Amino acid sequence: MSAALLACALAAPAIAAAPPQVFQFALQNGMQVLVIPDHRAPVVTQMLWFKVGAVDDPPGISGLAHFFEHMMFRGTKALPGDGFAQTIAKNGGENNAFTTHDYTAFYEQIAKDRLPLAMSLEADRLVNLDLSDGNVSTERDVVLEERRMRVDNDPQSLMSEQMEAALHLSHPYGRPVIGWAEEVRRIDRVPAQDFYDHHYAPNNAILVIAGDVTPADIRTLAQAQYGKVAARTLQPRAEFAEPPRLAETRMTIVRPDARVPVLARNYRVPSYAQASQGQAEALETYAQVLGGDQTSALYRILVEQKKLATDAGASYDGYARDAGEFSVYAVPRPGVSLDLLERAVDQVMAGFVAAPPRAPDLLRAKTGLVAAVTYRRDSQYQMASAYGQALVIGLTVDDVNAWPGRIRAVSADAVRKAAASLSRNEAVTAYLLPEPGK
Amino acid sequence: MRRAFAALAFALAAAVPARAADIKNIDLGKKAEVWFAEDHTVPIIAFNISLPAGSAYDPAGKGGLAAFTAAMIDEGAGGMDSRAFHEALANRAIQFRANAERDYLVISVVTLSENAPEAMRLLQLALTHPRFDAEAVTRVRAQIIQSIQQSQAEPPRVAGRAFAREFFGAHAYAHPVTGEIDTIAHISAEDMRGFARGHWVKSGIKIAVTGDISQAATAKLLASTFLPVSGATPPALPEVGKLGAPGVHVIAMPVPQPTAVFGLPGIMRADPDFIPGYVANYIVGGGGFSSRLTQEIRVKRGLTYGISTSLNSLRKASVMQGSVATRADAVRQTVQVVKDTLADFAANGPTPQELEDAKTYLTGSFPLAFASNGGTASQLGAFQRQNLDIGYVARRNAMIQAVTLDQVKRVAKRLFDPARLTVVIAGTPTEGGARPRPTPPGAPVAQAPPPKPVDKPVAGAVTAPKTVKKP
Repeated sequence: MSAALLACALAAPAIAAAPPQVFQFALQNGMQVLVIPDHRAPVVTQMLWFKVGAVDDPPGISGLAHFFEHMMFRGTKALPGDGFAQTIAKNGGENNAFTTHDYTAFYEQIAKDRLPLAMSLEADRLVNLDLSDGNVSTERDVVLEERRMRVDNDPQSLMSEQMEAALHLSHPYGRPVIGWAEEVRRIDRVPAQDFYDHHYAPNNAILVIAGDVTPADIRTLAQAQYGKVAARTLQPRAEFAEPPRLAETRMTIVRPDARVPVLARNYRVPSYAQASQGQAEALETYAQVLGGDQTSALYRILVEQKKLATDAGASYDGYARDAGEFSVYAVPRPGVSLDLLERAVDQVMAGFVAAPPRAPDLLRAKTGLVAAVTYRRDSQYQMASAYGQALVIGLTVDDVNAWPGRIRAVSADAVRKAAASLSRNEAVTAYLLPEPGK
Repeated sequence: MRRAFAALAFALAAAVPARAADIKNIDLGKKAEVWFAEDHTVPIIAFNISLPAGSAYDPAGKGGLAAFTAAMIDEGAGGMDSRAFHEALANRAIQFRANAERDYLVISVVTLSENAPEAMRLLQLALTHPRFDAEAVTRVRAQIIQSIQQSQAEPPRVAGRAFAREFFGAHAYAHPVTGEIDTIAHISAEDMRGFARGHWVKSGIKIAVTGDISQAATAKLLASTFLPVSGATPPALPEVGKLGAPGVHVIAMPVPQPTAVFGLPGIMRADPDFIPGYVANYIVGGGGFSSRLTQEIRVKRGLTYGISTSLNSLRKASVMQGSVATRADAVRQTVQVVKDTLADFAANGPTPQELEDAKTYLTGSFPLAFASNGGTASQLGAFQRQNLDIGYVARRNAMIQAVTLDQVKRVAKRLFDPARLTVVIAGTPTEGGARPRPTPPGAPVAQAPPPKPVDKPVAGAVTAPKTVKKP
C-alpha cells in the first residue's frame, strides 16, 4: 500500500453527524414518550414498545407473548375482527408488529394527519381487546402454521433454535420466542386474558414517534389519546439466573432439506445492559473486525486466502436485558469438512487473542459501525427502532447518542481483550449437514 | 367509537409529498435519463442506477450471465483487486449493491455526502475497467451455485422458477435470473467481460439521485463519472410470443407445505388500462388483510397464512402473478378457491366501497415511499424503469383518484380469466376428495437468504406482501 493511500485511509475519520434532536417526556399514567422530528415528508412512524416478551411466558406456555402480539390484531369491542389493519390500510397506512425475548413492539407508518387515528386505535386495543374463545383458537392455529413456516421448514432456523436451547441452560432465552409447538397448543383464553391484564398497560409502554411532528403536538395528542388509559398493576418480571456453564456444547444436525453444510458457534457474552464500561463496544468492534463484511478477517483468510469457505462472518447481539450473544458462522467450499473449517476459524480467532488488530483494519471497522448511525437517520422506522430498542431494555437516550463516541474510543488492546474473553465453555458449536447422498 | 375510526377514511387527501413534486431533470446526454431530488436534512446521498443489463439479455445456454456479471461488480477494477476494491468501499462506509433483474441491472449506491466523489470514482472504475480475476470468479461462482442448491429445497423458489419457465415459454424471461447450476458452471470470465462491454453502457441508462447535494454539483459529478462509460447501444430485447401455459403443473417434492404460484397475462405499463388494472389487482390480491383472496382463503377458510398477487410489467411482457402456500392435503382445494374468486371478480367487479378503500390506500400510502433519501431514489428508479416521464410522480395520485367503477369492471373481465390460469405447484398434493378443514397452514413467500444462521425477532401478526414499489 502506498504512503498516499495509507494516509488517505487513516484520514477517513469516523465522522458521525450530530445526534438527532430527541425529546422525551412521560404521561401521568406512566407511559414514556419519545419524539424524533423529521420533516422531510408529511409522514409519521408510531411505535409502541411494551416491556414484555417471551421471557415472560408462563412455565409450560412458551410462545404466549408472541401469540399475544397476534391477538392484538383480532379486534376490540369497538372495532371487531381485522378492523385494525383494515382501518390503517383505508387510511393509507402500513402496520405490523414483532416480538423478541425481552419486548413486543407495534408500529404504524401513515400520513401525519392520520396520527390521531393511529393513536386512538392503539389506545383502544390497549384496554378493549376481545379475547373470545373463538378468536383465541383460530389464532393459535395460525401461529402453529407460522412456526412450521419459519422454523420447521427451515433447517438453519431449526439449528439456531437447538443452539439457543442448549446455550442458555435454564434461562428463558433458551426457549424460542414463537414457542414449542406442543406448548403453543395449550394456549387458551384464560392465560391469554391474564397476560393481557398484567402486561399491557400504559405504565409498561414506551411510545416512540418519528416524523413530521413537533414535541408539543405529540404531548397534546398523546395526552388526549393515551392519557385517558389508566395505569395497571403490573406483574413484576422474574429475574432469572444465568449459571456458569462448565463445558462447551457441540451438536451435529443432519437434515435432508439442508443442501449446504453450515458451521455455527454462539457464545454467551455480556449485553449492553450488563457490560462494564466499554466492554460491549469492544465486543461489537471485534465482531466487525473478525467477520463484519468482506474485508473482515474471517472472509479474507477463510474465503479468499485459504479457499476453505464460500462465506464466513461474525456478529454481536448486545441489545438484551440479560446475556448478549457473539456468533460466528462459516459455509464450506464443496469438499471441505466442517471439522477442518472449524479449526481454521479457531486459528483466525486465536490470532486476535495473540495480537491486536492492525490499525487500518480497526479504523475501517469503526468507520462502518459509526457510519451506520448516520445512515439510520435516513429512515424514520430505523430511528424509532434504535431508540425504542435501547429504552425498552433499560438503556437511555444518552446511551444511544454516546454510542458513536464510545465505539471510536475502543482501543486495539480492548479488542484483543474482547477476543480473549470469549470462552468455549460459554459456547455452543453446531454442524448442519445434508443427508449423505443428497 | 367504531364510527369515529371510520370517519376519517374518506377524507384522505391525495397528497403528493413536496419533494415528489419537485423533481428535476439533469442533462446527461440524449440517451440517458437523470432525475434529481434535493434534501439536505441528513448528510446522505442515494443513487439508483439502472442499466440495460438484465437477465433477458442472457445468451442461450448462458442463463445467469447478467446476474453473475453483476455479482462481480465490486470484485476488482482497474488497479484494484477484489480485496482493494472492497476495502476502498469499506474505508468510507460506502454502500454499493448491484442486482440483476429481468430487464435491468440496478445499482444502488448510498454514501455519506462527503464521500460521494470517491463513491462515483469507484463506480466509474467498476463500470469501465472490471477485472474478473480468476480467484474472484471461482469464489463467486461457488457462492452462486450453493445458493441455487439451497433454493432447490425451498418450495416457493422451486415454484417461482418453474412458473416463469411455463409462463414465458421460449422467451428469455423464462429462465431464472440467477441461472441454473449447469449454466453458471459454464460461464467464463471472457463471457462476463463481453457482457459488461455490451451492456454496462450509458445508452439507455436511468439514474435517480436524492439527498444532500446541489443540482449543479450532481450534474458535474455525474458528467465526469459517466464520461468514459461506453455509449454502445445494447441489442434489442426479443419480442414475447404467447404468454401462459393454462393448466396445473406439479413438481413433486416431499414437503409438508407445498407452494402454488399462479398467473395470467397482465397489462403493459404503457396501456391506459394499467392503472385501473393495478387498482383491480389491489382489490383481488394486493392488499393484505382486505383483499378478496385473503378474505376467501385465509379469513373464511383458514387455508393459508398468506396469499398475495401482483401486477408486474416488464419491458416486453406483463404478468399478474400470485402465490399461496398451504398444507399438502389442501392444495387442490385452495387452487379451486383462487379460480372461483378470480371468476367472481371478473364477472362482477368490485363493490363501490372496495374501490373507494383501494383508492384511499393507494393514494394515501404514496408519500410513505418518499420519507427517506434511499426510499425516494429507489422509488424514482422504479418509475424510470417503467419508462414513465418525470411529471408522472405529480400526476399519479390524481390518475388513481380518477379510476371509475366501470373501468375496473371492464379491466377485471380482461385480466382475471381463470380458464387461462397457469398454475405451478411445488410439492405433492395429497388430497383425495377435498374436504374443507379449519386448520390454516401455509407460509408467505420469502426470498431465500444465503446460507447463514439467523435468530431474529419473530415478526408479523399481519402478513404483508414484501415491500413493493408503488405503481
